[in-house]
Amino acid sequence: MAINDPKTRGKAGGVSRRTAIGGMAAAGAALAAPARVWAQDATIRWWSPQASPGQLSAYQTQIDLFEAANPGTKVVFEKTSDEGYQPQLAAAFASGEVPNVVTHLPSFAVSDYWANGLLESFNEVIEAVGPEKYYRGANDIYEIDAGVYAGSGIGNSAANMLWVRKDLMEQAGIDAIPETWDELRAALQKMQGGGIYGAPLPYAKNSMTTLTIIGFIHLAGGQIFTPDLQVALDSDETRNALEFYKAMRELCPPGATNYSWGESLTAFVSGATATGIYTGRVLINVNDQNPPIADHVTCATYPTISKDVPSWTFNDFPSVFIPKAAGDMEMTKKFAASLYDGAGYIEQLHAAPGHVLPVLQTVAEDPAYLNNPIIEKYTAEVELMAASAAAGHNLGWESPEHKPNVKAGAIVGSGVLAEMVQRIVLNDEDATQVIGETAKAIEDIMKA
Amino acid sequence: MANATQSPLERNYARLGILLIGPTVLVFCAVIVYPLVSAIYLSLFSIYTPTLEGEWVGLSNYRELLAKGEFWSSLWTNIIWTVGTLTLQIVFGVGMALVLHQNLIFRSLARSLILFPYFVSTVVAVLVWRWLFNDLYGILNHFVMLSGASDMPVDWLGSMPNALLSVILVGAWKYFPFVVIATLARLQTIPDHLYEAAKIDGAGPIARFFDVTLPQLRDVLVVIIMLRAIWDFKEFDLIFLLTGGGPVTSTQTLPLLVYKEAFALNQMGMASAYAVVMMAIMLVFMILYIRRTREEEDR
Repeated sequence: MAINDPKTRGKAGGVSRRTAIGGMAAAGAALAAPARVWAQDATIRWWSPQASPGQLSAYQTQIDLFEAANPGTKVVFEKTSDEGYQPQLAAAFASGEVPNVVTHLPSFAVSDYWANGLLESFNEVIEAVGPEKYYRGANDIYEIDAGVYAGSGIGNSAANMLWVRKDLMEQAGIDAIPETWDELRAALQKMQGGGIYGAPLPYAKNSMTTLTIIGFIHLAGGQIFTPDLQVALDSDETRNALEFYKAMRELCPPGATNYSWGESLTAFVSGATATGIYTGRVLINVNDQNPPIADHVTCATYPTISKDVPSWTFNDFPSVFIPKAAGDMEMTKKFAASLYDGAGYIEQLHAAPGHVLPVLQTVAEDPAYLNNPIIEKYTAEVELMAASAAAGHNLGWESPEHKPNVKAGAIVGSGVLAEMVQRIVLNDEDATQVIGETAKAIEDIMKA
Repeated sequence: MANATQSPLERNYARLGILLIGPTVLVFCAVIVYPLVSAIYLSLFSIYTPTLEGEWVGLSNYRELLAKGEFWSSLWTNIIWTVGTLTLQIVFGVGMALVLHQNLIFRSLARSLILFPYFVSTVVAVLVWRWLFNDLYGILNHFVMLSGASDMPVDWLGSMPNALLSVILVGAWKYFPFVVIATLARLQTIPDHLYEAAKIDGAGPIARFFDVTLPQLRDVLVVIIMLRAIWDFKEFDLIFLLTGGGPVTSTQTLPLLVYKEAFALNQMGMASAYAVVMMAIMLVFMILYIRRTREEEDR
């Protein structure tokens, strides 16, 4: 048969073009069929920076419960980090390969992404959980646009609690936990010695130093922004906070210039410092890693410049949010709501008791939650942290009067506040000039 | 017209040549040209990183960065880091290569072990060094205090000039095995009769090193210095993980500045502008390297 034979033109081996195209379509459909069947098996990707072994085990319980209740759905947990989530999420958003659910990031990260149209409304999830179960006002910080929630809290945290060793206080003849900065410095000077330093304050260029100085400025009675978000850094309160931070340097280990959350926690838990500044994770770590001091550990809200200034607790407001580009939105929201389900949620909270505190009042009062050796042993401390965190704030929401600050994540990420601390404390630069330059840098970020 | 004079066979060969070189050109375009053009293109916009959306700003990113003190201080730190760590790498690398060129017991084992720092992941290496530098539990501070050199632990990574010196030292430790490998390979090809002649002329070990060994190593060292200068100039992970660029911005090099702009401040356009300027600086090293290799080929 000649190729150009008019009788056979348009046919392949005697098969008509129509038949050939039909066959190809059928073959394509057949090939696509397994993919369609496979596509029905949804995969939910869950990101969180909180991934200690106990927490991972609790997450697995929640995943198992959800997968059992939703056959054909697979949940994959992926760890991110407090210092590294920004580039990871930036790449995920830019590429469209986003996780379905992200938990435990600070609330100011949520507001930043929400302001740029990257997140799905969380209203349906909050409705599914039950708005009446939350502590009153727990979701206010996520209501950036009226009536729409960018995310929700999965817990509360009291990040700047003062942790003390009662045994060391007793040895030093100190009968009460310091309430003011002067009292704190005097107490630390008495307790420092014999290989034990006073405090593990961070002086590094990282988020912990940033959060610590934000806390100190508030503990001095100041603020970073006015309620309508004008930069208010250049103030006497900021100067006082930096003066205190600088005065504390001699009471901290030499390597505190490179401390972040892990090093600071370890310094107190290992017994290298007399006091600590951290969340309730101290409790489980002390009991697991240094039991001899476990009975001597307690906490208080961090001292203020004077008794007239109220304490200010830095609450990260560990969050839950859903990227808008996440696939299978219905199942994603269902999974997000399931994270608050009784047994699974309680196991998650018990993985680090006192570290992530419940945002659901119903859970906080649940005997199953209270029935935990650490929570039972340190009831007063857990109650204090819960109350402090519930009244806590952060740079994204400095006070109930403040508007949500969607640039708070960029300000923390830029490290300008940590640099301010380093320039004044480590480089001994002129405070007025440094504060002025830092205020200008923050204004530039706000405008960008 | 050359095409008119070509025979059909030659034209077929030319087409075949294009066909064969096509995949290479495509891969080259995908992995070199596209990112390069993209970086230059992005640097002309103000772009929010997570959405990659933004507006045209022309050359204002470049004007802004050149006016920033942070750019010049980071460039200066970058140069100190590159020159410092490269010098130590060359000194340690050549020294170790000379030792490993001798007839030692377990020479093969030693040659294998010396590669360990180069092969170990940077993250692992940094974790180990951070523990060594730790103020409370680090062995370096333990020895410092045991020897009586200091009553207090030394702040290796959090104060200047210790931080920059520590980073330079760790960089030298991590990358000197590359110099060892390349130098050792060249040492093994130096003819013995050159040393014998030098000995007959009365040259001692030091004179033999400077008059025979070093001139013979010259060509390989030039190539090593060019390559390592390019690689060290754009080093990111080791410095970022050790100090994060601190204290303040004392160890912040240009790659860390690019990262900060791109991911901490979400300014991808400005980050791209920094990256393009970095590329222009490295181009100088690359031109020198290419000219050097051409000279080698011409000999």
